[in-house]
Amino acid sequence: MNPQVPRSTCLGRKGEGLFLSGTVLLELLKAVLEKGVPFRFQAKGFSMSPFIRDGDVVTVSPSFDGTPHLGDVVAVIQPETGRLIIHRVVRGKGSSYVTRGDNIAKEDGLVSVEDILGFVTKVERKGERVVVGFGPERILIAILSRCGLLTPLLLPMRKLSSIF
Amino acid sequence: MKAKVHVNKSYVHSEDVVAREIEGELIIVPLVSGIGDAEDELFTLNETGRAIWEKLDGKKTLKKVIEELSEGFEAPAGQIEKDVAGLVEELLKRKMLIESPSP
Repeated sequence: MNPQVPRSTCLGRKGEGLFLSGTVLLELLKAVLEKGVPFRFQAKGFSMSPFIRDGDVVTVSPSFDGTPHLGDVVAVIQPETGRLIIHRVVRGKGSSYVTRGDNIAKEDGLVSVEDILGFVTKVERKGERVVVGFGPERILIAILSRCGLLTPLLLPMRKLSSIF
Repeated sequence: MKAKVHVNKSYVHSEDVVAREIEGELIIVPLVSGIGDAEDELFTLNETGRAIWEKLDGKKTLKKVIEELSEGFEAPAGQIEKDVAGLVEELLKRKMLIESPSP
């Protein structure tokens, strides 16, 4: 996911409907999480579809114990690009982790725990909370994802959901 | 409802905001019910607003802030006073600024 944020009219005369760049969002997310409180914003992109869809509103909370678990969806800074992504933890290797988008064919590579900014604790779609993909089933999703079975399994579901 | 602004009082940023300079712009995120909510409202300050914001440290009175700004800006003191009072009133209304306790 490439999260974006709508920017409202403000004290400094900013127009409505503007979107923050990834850099600005990353800095804001870091600033708010450093304060120890969650940050809620609109996610952009399809890499976590169907569990997080383009335009869903996600809440990222600080990582108090700092330990991600298999299946957790995390906000992480990609070490190679410095970009903010929201992907699922699909395996752990010592103090490093491998993340992957649920709708992406390959893993992101290793990230250290320091690169993980926070955990996705809530996803909202059209005002309703999305629960599937974030409960105990997240572990199964992570295992299927790392085995490369998640995308083929989700394909028929996507076709069905497009019909209904 | 209008917040009362006094030039002899000091004001300080509320604990319920996060302000960060990003790409040359000061962006303020109010923390509403313990959450930084970009879906609600984000604020930025223009150059004048930013200069005022940075001087609101809870120690200087507004009078002192206006004096200092008058030295830095080529604008009539009356205009600066009006800008400061207007912004402080707006920030107080939005609970982004609080009155500093008297020393």
